[in-house]
Amino acid sequence: MKPRLVIGLGNPLMGDEGVGWHVASRLAGDPRLPADTETLRGGTDLLRFADRIEGRSRVILVDAMQSAAPPGSVTPFEDCAELEDRQTNAHELSAAQAMRLLRMLMPVRFTLLGVSIGSAAAGDELSPAVEARMPAILDRVLEELGWNSSR
Amino acid sequence: MSVVVIEHLARVEGHGGITVELEGDTVANVRFDVFEGARLLEPLIRGKSYDEVAPTLSRICSICSAAHTLTSLKATEDAFDVHVSPQTELLRELMFRGESIESHALHLFLLAAPDYLDYPSAIAMAADKPAAVLLGLRLKKLGNLIMETIGGRAIHPVNAVPGGFGKPPSVDQLIELRSGLTQGMADSDAAIDMMASLPAADFCHSDTVYAALRSPNLDSYYSGDEVMAVSDGNRAIIHAADYKSLTNERSVAHSHAKHSNFRGKPFMVGSLARLTVNPRRLTGRLAVAMKRLKFQLPADNPMDNNKAQALELISDVERALEIIEQLLRAGVKDERPVPVHPKAGTGTAITEAPRGMLIHSYTYDADGRIVSADVITPTALNAASMELHFRGAVEQSAEREEATISKRLQMIARAYDPCISCSVHILRRR
Repeated sequence: MKPRLVIGLGNPLMGDEGVGWHVASRLAGDPRLPADTETLRGGTDLLRFADRIEGRSRVILVDAMQSAAPPGSVTPFEDCAELEDRQTNAHELSAAQAMRLLRMLMPVRFTLLGVSIGSAAAGDELSPAVEARMPAILDRVLEELGWNSSR
Repeated sequence: MSVVVIEHLARVEGHGGITVELEGDTVANVRFDVFEGARLLEPLIRGKSYDEVAPTLSRICSICSAAHTLTSLKATEDAFDVHVSPQTELLRELMFRGESIESHALHLFLLAAPDYLDYPSAIAMAADKPAAVLLGLRLKKLGNLIMETIGGRAIHPVNAVPGGFGKPPSVDQLIELRSGLTQGMADSDAAIDMMASLPAADFCHSDTVYAALRSPNLDSYYSGDEVMAVSDGNRAIIHAADYKSLTNERSVAHSHAKHSNFRGKPFMVGSLARLTVNPRRLTGRLAVAMKRLKFQLPADNPMDNNKAQALELISDVERALEIIEQLLRAGVKDERPVPVHPKAGTGTAITEAPRGMLIHSYTYDADGRIVSADVITPTALNAASMELHFRGAVEQSAEREEATISKRLQMIARAYDPCISCSVHILRRR
């Protein structure tokens, strides 16, 4: 069985919109990352990674999300029923749509960790609010991989 | 006055969408609001060294990252008078073809086809028509494989550098690609079957000005530095360095994207424009496919851009195979990138991204740092033409039911395959 995979989605040129990308980058160098887990800095098109997902039983996605929660809060979704399914985008499927399509095609368990963000504006750094929450966001992703913060 | 607003195209609240204002049955105003992230990103690269520019700007878009990377390299090389090897030219063209196959397959099978068949999304269509979705995904995978093999990664290629490639592909890798492309020949024929089976979509007709890179060969997405604009049998050539005479941009209040006009007329870029400007490849299998799609040039229906993309799936696979054969015949040289010596100056590159003409133009200082940069995406070039066709679709029809107008305009917008918000893609909670 192929290792588990964490895919950080987002565009790192658009501030907090790239939070998933930043999470994957930092996770790759984190000594707590379990040996049976790989990381991937994705862009905005999850479907592009269908080949990388095929043959794995567990994939964790990290992506920016608009919600009422404070910036940097993490909400897990096992199923994307709670996420808007409308085609908000003219030339790629949304992460939620791609997740549903890939699930129809392969036996993989996805967990999507949505990181709430305030705004997405051009810039290659995270906002101070989300940056301050990065250690907690990384802990939350690692917990999903079985790491226990009390250890 | 009644107003039809389609926010459907927006990814971020307040950005992107179509607004049609009707006074009685008369169209008072049509606006296509486009959030064009590319322009806002230009200040981000000011002061950056030439070798950091392409990796940064490739992130403008996940779907077109190879086109942005290679167009950026071409502009930088133009500024420094660097001439890459014939092998590099071929490998870059191959990457463009891979990206085009990937992008067109995604667009036609997962985005456009559900519209024609009245499914709300590709997921809904997959339940009834799994074969069509799987065919699209197989072609998409082939495009990815080409980009990954040549560029080193499926997105944001790391192997393409100023002056050439870090590491050329091996003979074994090319042979593997060739076998994937042989399957791709059959799959691209099947794509024509799928397109030919869709109901007709015919919402507006107009004399359209088309503009595309004029290829020195049969057709090319990468080589060449002239644009040809074609309108009603008239042709005009614009050199890359004079691109501003083509784009002739004017700012419009409702959009981040500046609107482009050529001699006072909006123009269309993309697959349909490419086939109009470079029709010499339209023989053999392509001529047969054109008949099956009832496709003729010059076209006056913007929906024909979808048919043109299906035709390009065939030509992209054919061209990719030709390039691989050519590389295998000549033997892949283990060559290093051409040395790059920065100097002060300006360089401009025009290429064909999957959804149309892409322009990068940079001015460098003597140390090879960016003084100013201009990135013009196909969607920005198409914005004025899209508005013209939205207006035409409402004016040329007696239909005034809001849902029907909305659906038609969305299908026209989608036919342009726009990159409205390449830069942001946020999820939303219900």
